[in-house]
Amino acid sequence: MPLGPSSSAIHIHPNVPVSAQNNPRTPTSITIHPVALFSILDHYLRRKDDQDRVIGTLLGTRTDAEIEVRSSFAVLHSETSEQVAVDMEYHRTMYELHHKVNPKEVIVGWYSTGSNLNTYSALIQNFYSQETTPHQAIHVSLDTGVEPGQPAGVKGYVSSPVGVFPKPENCVFVPVPVELQFRDSERRGVDLLTSTAVSENSTSQQPLSDLEILESSIQSVTSMIDRVLGYVRAVLAGETKGDPAIGRYLMDTLGASTDDLEKGGFNGRLQDTLMISYLANLVRAQAEVSSRLALVGAS
Amino acid sequence: MAAPSMAAALAASLPAPSAAPTPAAPTYEAIPQSMSTLIDVEAEIPLQCVQLDGLVVSKILKHSSDSNSSSPFGLLLGLDLDGVLEVSNSFPMPHHSGDDDDKSAKSVARYQASMLRSLKEVQGDDTVVGFYQASTLGAFFTQNLIDLQAIHREKLRHGGVVVVHDVSQTARGNASFRAFRLTPTFLDAYKKSSFNTASLANHQLTFSSILEELPLKIHTNPLLSAFLGEFSAASPGAALGTGPSSALPPSFSVLDLKSGGLTKNLEHIVDALDLYRNEENNLAYLSRQIARERAKADNYVMKRKEENATRVAQGLAPLPEEDVTRLFKIPPEPSRLESMLLLGQVDAYAKSLAETTSTGLVKMYAATAGSTV
Repeated sequence: MPLGPSSSAIHIHPNVPVSAQNNPRTPTSITIHPVALFSILDHYLRRKDDQDRVIGTLLGTRTDAEIEVRSSFAVLHSETSEQVAVDMEYHRTMYELHHKVNPKEVIVGWYSTGSNLNTYSALIQNFYSQETTPHQAIHVSLDTGVEPGQPAGVKGYVSSPVGVFPKPENCVFVPVPVELQFRDSERRGVDLLTSTAVSENSTSQQPLSDLEILESSIQSVTSMIDRVLGYVRAVLAGETKGDPAIGRYLMDTLGASTDDLEKGGFNGRLQDTLMISYLANLVRAQAEVSSRLALVGAS
Repeated sequence: MAAPSMAAALAASLPAPSAAPTPAAPTYEAIPQSMSTLIDVEAEIPLQCVQLDGLVVSKILKHSSDSNSSSPFGLLLGLDLDGVLEVSNSFPMPHHSGDDDDKSAKSVARYQASMLRSLKEVQGDDTVVGFYQASTLGAFFTQNLIDLQAIHREKLRHGGVVVVHDVSQTARGNASFRAFRLTPTFLDAYKKSSFNTASLANHQLTFSSILEELPLKIHTNPLLSAFLGEFSAASPGAALGTGPSSALPPSFSVLDLKSGGLTKNLEHIVDALDLYRNEENNLAYLSRQIARERAKADNYVMKRKEENATRVAQGLAPLPEEDVTRLFKIPPEPSRLESMLLLGQVDAYAKSLAETTSTGLVKMYAATAGSTV
């Protein structure tokens, strides 16, 4: 799942010689979890007036050439026209605190908001590279979409030194594809937030019952089927020209049958489910009676 | 009731500190909103609802799915404003197992203080307003949770809330968050630490009246809303067949027909019932013992009285009435808190089972709706 607008940039994979075994491979893809992005947004909201961008540390896990960003925390920094300063002490403390809860997550790089990469970015990148040695540090820049003309999006980079003499303030940021990733449970949370975001006042009531969610799910499926039906009828009537690819997809999707739920199996399962339902209600009733009896037992 | 007046006296004597813990007064009397401003230093506007920020939702979800502890918990940070408790941040607490209690308690305290200080430095909220707890199948009634909450009650404004997140319900496709706080009647009993039968009857305590639920809302700030909107919108120009075109394709795992959790849920019920039975047996044993001791003591008193009567009849001086309580140790009546909590767990498991089956039925009928015609 790509994040942000598609770009024409080619993702260059530097050709690392296989013989250099001490040098780990350059990351070729970055996946990022929603919670890390949300933390960055929150940090951006809480920035001071005089800051135009905020930076922080990305924590996650790395496999061979892939980096999974799982969380992030804010780091204090100040930028003026003359110098840039990052509170390393703070960075270390926060990392240790995070490490206590999630021992598996290590520093993989840093984030900043806004999309301008300048000399200071190179310097900060250099600092984080020292933190992540022997691995390469990644840099994720997040456009919050509040600047006009800058759509919201996330970009990922790795750096490589440039120039005859490597200097910390000189480096090339090589783009790396970034993808959003979540586990099933996180997926539910993102769904919840997306539905919250479009609702009135950006608030939604909790808790929702399972049935309500099921209902909305079924309704959205029904509306999709209606759309497909409309399209198919239009094609059949000759109003629109049918697209063979769409037809193939529809065939694959709607070809599934409910044979495994044939008559006998259905009745069996129905009885099982009803039985369990009765049992559950019975247990609840008993528990309620028992708790009331405990109250009158004294007299 | 002496508590409110004492609390008022205490509150008056305090020099109105901004984040000072106000004494745990039952705030259920209709306090007139005399204050025209929304600022209540003394936390006098009662809480109406809890509002969770989107960041907190995702942080709790991540912690609950990552953690290997059985009941991961963490602290909620935020502010209360005009009856709405706005939770804007949270952080997980480290999981300790096997450490000796004293040491781990200290390190947890240090961790908490250090984390709060760090968050303050980056302009985060640093007021602890409660804590969250992840549970499975709705069974969050544990001694641990009650204790934690009771401790928090003393320290926090509004006594703190607990947000319960149900992991198994989330796995079924419904990210559920509920907010609770302890009821004043339970706190009253807890403070006296008397959970014998008489006290329970006095306070009308059952498992359902330990915690009261607060309405909970989820809120996303405009920046987050815009960001999510950007992601879930299909990017234009993506050709058909090139995979999902938006970062957030719709998902339909709710419609999954499988009901694999049922067996586990049933097992949980049976386990909880077993535990409850054990606890009830213990209680019955203890109460029999009490009855026996009491009967012995009564016998002794009776005998002494008869003896005295005969001695008086014979003109002798009666024997002194001794203190029976010193002779016979009548054990204190056992606490029924544990059994009450276990019963609450049984109820919670049964409730989640009932909910699963009801949605299961709907799904089954929905799946066969077309074919049975």
